[in-house]
Amino acid sequence: MRRPQPWLVVVLAGAVVGALFAAVSTYDFVQHLDRQVHNLHCSFIPGVSHGAGESGCQVAMMSPYSSVLRTHVWGGVPIALAALSVFAFLVFYALDLVVTRRKDDVRATGFLALATVLPALASAVMLVISLEKLGTTCKLCVGIYLASAACLIGGIGAWRRARHGAGGTAPDPRTERWDRRDRPREEPAFVGTAKTGSQARLVAVGVPTGAASARFLAAMFVTGVAFVAVPVVLYLALAPDHARFIGTCEGLPHPTDSYGVMVRIEHGASAAAPAGAPAIEVLDPLCPACLAFEERLAASGLGPRLDRKAVLFPLDNTCNWMVTEATHPGACTVSEAVLCAGDKAPDVIAWAFEEQDRIRKETAADPSAAARIVKQRFPELAACVGSPDARARLNKSMRWIVANGIRVLTPQVFVGNVKLCDEDVDLGLEYTLSNMLDRQARGGLAVTPPGKAPPPAAPAPAKPHGGAP
Amino acid sequence: MIGRAALLVVLLAIPAALTGVWIRSADARLAELSAAPAELAPVASASDVAYCNPELKRILRRVLMSCGLVGGNAARGCQPVQARNVATMSGHDFNALFQPMKDRGGIVMFDQDKAELTAQDLGLVDQVFADQRGASWFFVVARASPEGSVEHNRELSKARAEAVMAHLRQQFKDPDLDKEVGMLWLGAEFAQLETEFCAWKHSKGGTCSPEQLNRSAFVAWIDCQL
Repeated sequence: MRRPQPWLVVVLAGAVVGALFAAVSTYDFVQHLDRQVHNLHCSFIPGVSHGAGESGCQVAMMSPYSSVLRTHVWGGVPIALAALSVFAFLVFYALDLVVTRRKDDVRATGFLALATVLPALASAVMLVISLEKLGTTCKLCVGIYLASAACLIGGIGAWRRARHGAGGTAPDPRTERWDRRDRPREEPAFVGTAKTGSQARLVAVGVPTGAASARFLAAMFVTGVAFVAVPVVLYLALAPDHARFIGTCEGLPHPTDSYGVMVRIEHGASAAAPAGAPAIEVLDPLCPACLAFEERLAASGLGPRLDRKAVLFPLDNTCNWMVTEATHPGACTVSEAVLCAGDKAPDVIAWAFEEQDRIRKETAADPSAAARIVKQRFPELAACVGSPDARARLNKSMRWIVANGIRVLTPQVFVGNVKLCDEDVDLGLEYTLSNMLDRQARGGLAVTPPGKAPPPAAPAPAKPHGGAP
Repeated sequence: MIGRAALLVVLLAIPAALTGVWIRSADARLAELSAAPAELAPVASASDVAYCNPELKRILRRVLMSCGLVGGNAARGCQPVQARNVATMSGHDFNALFQPMKDRGGIVMFDQDKAELTAQDLGLVDQVFADQRGASWFFVVARASPEGSVEHNRELSKARAEAVMAHLRQQFKDPDLDKEVGMLWLGAEFAQLETEFCAWKHSKGGTCSPEQLNRSAFVAWIDCQL
């Protein structure tokens, strides 16, 4: 009977559990390819807790770190798919070591240990990103991290066990028969030396030395690559064409800033830098989705290709008659501060993004809090915020919104007067925005009525945008 | 060997097959959803509040057209006779139209026989005008108290309306000003304000006599769409 080596069992168990977690995570990601919002599985038990609302899993999945090749395919290729493939390979390889009786082979188990380093290293990197960049962890991801750790421990354990065996330990008569029988058929495990003239004989010492050949290891390496490449290529080939939706989500009939209400979101680029594509962002400085969009845009590296201006649209009924309640309490006051700040508007917007939780919370309890907080931070704006002039300017901002028939939500981004569809502002941001920018550069970006979408554009060439994946 | 190959194929096929099935499923949903009309957020629009009933809108349209705001009429502002004719109603009923706008307006009170705006007057005009919200129309309805001749009172009320308009033009530099501000100067001939309007915001603290109330420019935003 072939007894599995205990460390291989650890690798197998870790790989199976990791594959389950990765499969659930991949499923959650892939279902978003229909451009809808879906609940996510978020539990330490794979497949359980199909919950709605903000969670670490939601944050992680919507972050730019959840996938790669994001400018090539809508949403990118989920890294969970690669994880699933790697775990599947580990299952295969660990079983193969048992089947081919290489479980005590130093080179074969060394390769296993090396293979388990890959998911472990990736898990360590993702854990650091989760904690440092996202400030949260997702339960499915933690499951994958733990499974990776188990695989690594098992892989190293199996290799060390094989090495110890190779170190010349005396044959164990209790296992000798089993070792001999399980030795790989194609090459003897160990051959003793024989002196000329002596009674030459093969000596099985119970320590495997018939190491896996380079050919075997190369074949396994290629197999491992194939395990990752096949699903990824399949994913790229089958992913729906989302380019057909570009331009189908309205435009700006009156984009001119006749009221002088547009403000810069970022300080201007250097004169040497090429001008970006003109873009208008409908923005509420206290809107969490606007902050999230800002972070995603920064991570995408596409920001420098845009020349962005903001039109303020606070979702706060103290100044906005289009909402029935203060969705973002204090947004009217902060928007006035942005308008009052003139050239320093980007500083006020950046500050508001940082402080938006606090401002919203304190203003919900005390309506005068927003003005107090703003004036404490920007005393030079104290005379302007709340003045008739500031209120009238903010009102003009909203009249621009009305004149352009903008929908009552934030953020909304228009590139060259064509709206970036609401479904494309998170997972599909890099793909859609880079496509829009390419079309804009070619002069081919225009509003298209739904149903009359142009044929899909030729895939944009890969462009290094300098951002994180 | 066959067993190893089978193991390889099965384990390689699992992620690939799952990926394929899930993507196909998402693609099918996408096609289905693309064909159906999407649920979208409402479109931004100007205010159209509850008091904007069809009767009010009918009169508002006639006043606005006759007084040069809509319809391309080159003339700007309405005189008492025009106002009475287009409103086709009594002065009392005309004033009653504005009653629901109490929170959206104010009364700028001038000194007798004066059309200059004081600091308090300017403050009130600025306060009311800055609070446009979603309103489409701003009315300046100037009056005079009964002292003085009919002609003089017409001129005086016209000067009061124009003083408010000039201030708005200078203070707010609003490119839509001529499309949204309607002026009426009624002298003392039509729709004199009654004391119930003393409850409105006004620029003179303290007393509020009928004379003071009509030495005025009534300013208010009207939250109606035509």
